Amino acid sequence: MKRALGLTTAVFLAAAGSAFAADYPTRDITTAVVWGAGGGTDVCNRTIMAEMAKVLDININVINKTGGVAGANGMNYVKGQKADGYTLVGLSESNVTSAVQGGFDSKFTDVWHPFIVGGSPDVVSVIPSAGVNSFKDLIEKAKAGPGSIKACASGAGSIHHLNLLAVQDGTGAEFQFVPYKGSAPCQNAALAGEVSVVVTSVAEQQQLIKGKKFVPLAVLVADAFTIDGFGTIPSAFGDYPKLSEFLPIMQAIGFAIHNDASDNVKQTLGDAFTKAMQGDVMKKFADEKYYVLSGAHGDDAKAVFDSLESQFTWKLFELKAAKFSPAKFGIAKP
Amino acid sequence: MEILDILAALSDHFFLRVGEFGFKIWELITPANILILFGATILGIVFGALPGLTATLGVALLTTLTYGIDNNTAFIALLAIYVGAVYGGSYASILLNIPGTAAAAATAVDGYPLALRGEGGRALGMTTTASLIGTVFGLLCLILIAPMIIDLALKFTTFEKFWLAMFGITISGTLTSRDLVYKGWIAGLIGLWLACIGQEQLQTFPRYTQDLPELQGGIEVVPVLIGAFGIPQIIKVLRNRAALGKPAEFKRILPEFKTIARNLHHIFRSSGLGVFIGAIPGIGEDIAGWVSYGVAKNTSRHPETFGKGEVKAVVSTECANNACIGGALIPLLTLGIPGSPPAAMLLGALMLHDVTPGPMIEFENPGFIMGFTAILLLAACAMWISGMVLAKQVVKVLKIPPSLFMPIIGVLCVIGSYALGLQIINLYLMVPVGIVAYFLTEMEYPIAPLVIGVILGPMADENLRRGLMVANGDITEFFTRPWCIGLIVIIGLTIMTQIPAIRRAVERSWNRFAGGFVRPTDGNE
Repeated sequence: MKRALGLTTAVFLAAAGSAFAADYPTRDITTAVVWGAGGGTDVCNRTIMAEMAKVLDININVINKTGGVAGANGMNYVKGQKADGYTLVGLSESNVTSAVQGGFDSKFTDVWHPFIVGGSPDVVSVIPSAGVNSFKDLIEKAKAGPGSIKACASGAGSIHHLNLLAVQDGTGAEFQFVPYKGSAPCQNAALAGEVSVVVTSVAEQQQLIKGKKFVPLAVLVADAFTIDGFGTIPSAFGDYPKLSEFLPIMQAIGFAIHNDASDNVKQTLGDAFTKAMQGDVMKKFADEKYYVLSGAHGDDAKAVFDSLESQFTWKLFELKAAKFSPAKFGIAKP
Repeated sequence: MEILDILAALSDHFFLRVGEFGFKIWELITPANILILFGATILGIVFGALPGLTATLGVALLTTLTYGIDNNTAFIALLAIYVGAVYGGSYASILLNIPGTAAAAATAVDGYPLALRGEGGRALGMTTTASLIGTVFGLLCLILIAPMIIDLALKFTTFEKFWLAMFGITISGTLTSRDLVYKGWIAGLIGLWLACIGQEQLQTFPRYTQDLPELQGGIEVVPVLIGAFGIPQIIKVLRNRAALGKPAEFKRILPEFKTIARNLHHIFRSSGLGVFIGAIPGIGEDIAGWVSYGVAKNTSRHPETFGKGEVKAVVSTECANNACIGGALIPLLTLGIPGSPPAAMLLGALMLHDVTPGPMIEFENPGFIMGFTAILLLAACAMWISGMVLAKQVVKVLKIPPSLFMPIIGVLCVIGSYALGLQIINLYLMVPVGIVAYFLTEMEYPIAPLVIGVILGPMADENLRRGLMVANGDITEFFTRPWCIGLIVIIGLTIMTQIPAIRRAVERSWNRFAGGFVRPTDGNE
């Protein structure tokens, strides 16, 4: 009986498999977002999925599978599902640290075939009482008194911390880094005057920038960034070209499918993704959420994630915050 | 003359706002919204009352469910479940001595002795009205004096937060057993040790993690809370074949307005404290409950009645944790920085509905704060009505034979611990903590300080070390800031009152001073 059942299942699966290969997608797709509802990754996935659903003419359900080390629960859940393209994982650059922290057992791009929607660039801001008007001004001041200016950039080993470190490496200035549990407590500390420099994303700071609580000095990407109703924030690369050796380290928010999904699935999703990204809805989304859109998928996106993974994991290892050496997973040094 | 002008302008402004407010409420009252309002409130109360299901979890659940619903309706559901859950925690605290949420842990200390005396119904009635007053007080602060509160809250930097946590921790010492005063401190230190486990927050250095990835994130409060209060209670009741509280003596639904009136100063003090603590970013309802308990005990002329079923204590904690909601919304709406963990979930929900809170919110979404406050008022009223109807029925659970009821509670404890993040480690944590807590209670250790340690330990630890970092290792900063000095004085006084010799001396001189004016019944009301 059992054997018969097994056989039937096998036959069914084979039949189903071939059907999928020829024709994808034929039923609803589920996207499991590894971060909480309402967070950047969640909102981004809900928007892009709604657009892709229109292109693919099926439903895409977005659910949240949170928890675990660096989003490991959601990633392991999707990894355990069939590689048939019907279960996607919504994720971000922060998930690349899961492996070295003991939550996930492989190098990121060995398992995932990523699609990057984009992210909000990091911006260096000061509080008005700091009396600094330009990025150059700030760097010169920091150079004059190494470690005398207090800066916050979320927690140690976070993307904002990596951006601050890159600023130090690229300009030779030295700040006193004060860690907080996230961007919100860090920005709060700046409002209270506990630190004077803030490095977080434009999306996180925009309200405080427009409300004149923070003075934005420079964005840490190659191009200047315009905030509606405020003005343009110059790129830090202008005065310090050497920064381009270390930056940008930008958010990469998007989703991924199994690497061993069939080419047909990758192709179909890739086309739908590209089409969705070109639509007006995503442009409007980028404006409202202060994102820079990417649109990279497949090998291009893998290159981005490989670089982020290498920088993040080795930094954490250096901070002794990693459980395993990145070398264990074959992650190259930056 | 000038003063009169200012007053006239202020009252104009006030009446304009009240008019606007009334209109907004009128707009919100539709049959569908009312249904959702009460549905979410009752769901919130159930979430609060069940150990392990917290306000944060409730808001998180509805955040996903309300995606795609009209903004007003979604926010009605979210705020109703938030208010309901913060209030609902008191049910399990009072009736079972197992706090439904961390916010209601302080309520159990005096609420359960009340239930044992057969006054469980009365206590629930009191907490319902106290919670309503607390919530309304919080929302009035939000709508009228938010800018002032935010200025004050921003003065609470790392240094002040450390001393505030220390003040909470010194409450441990006031929760003692009969035979040895220091047992409260011992339980508190165990809690502080538990709080150390995991990667520390600043430099991510792993402490006591035993190389287990599950321990890296640290110890969750909820499983510890359930283990520490729930397990010993279940074992004790089943072992002694004892009944829980006496259910019979619930006589009235309406609150005792006289008792409320007598406790008005406690209500206002606790509500004020709640709003303020809520407004400090990152500190939430649980801490508000304990700090308010400590202040109520410290300012009472009869601190010895605390822990034995003191109505003042129950009113103070429940007022404070509900007032915390309005407080937590102040930095959330005006700065985009959530004031408490459930408010952080609420931030997510707002973003999902395309509202980015912050200084510009009134420009980008005119009238939003007014609407949000109107919804909060509706939620508070729905909570009060539901509470008044439910309280009488809920007390009946005490009629269920304990041999039937406690195993169900046991299962709920297990589910509650697991429901948080669906992590099996939380069960491995809850059970041993429960067993240790059982033996501790057998040896007459108070268990509340252990939970205080777990709740406040990380706050004290993180802020102490960050403070040293900010000040370049200079410790004087902790002792010279004005708010710090104030807190240190309060902590010093608290510790001094714990030393029996000093307390007796103070009591003697107080009695001599007050003479016959102190009424003997004063302590029990």
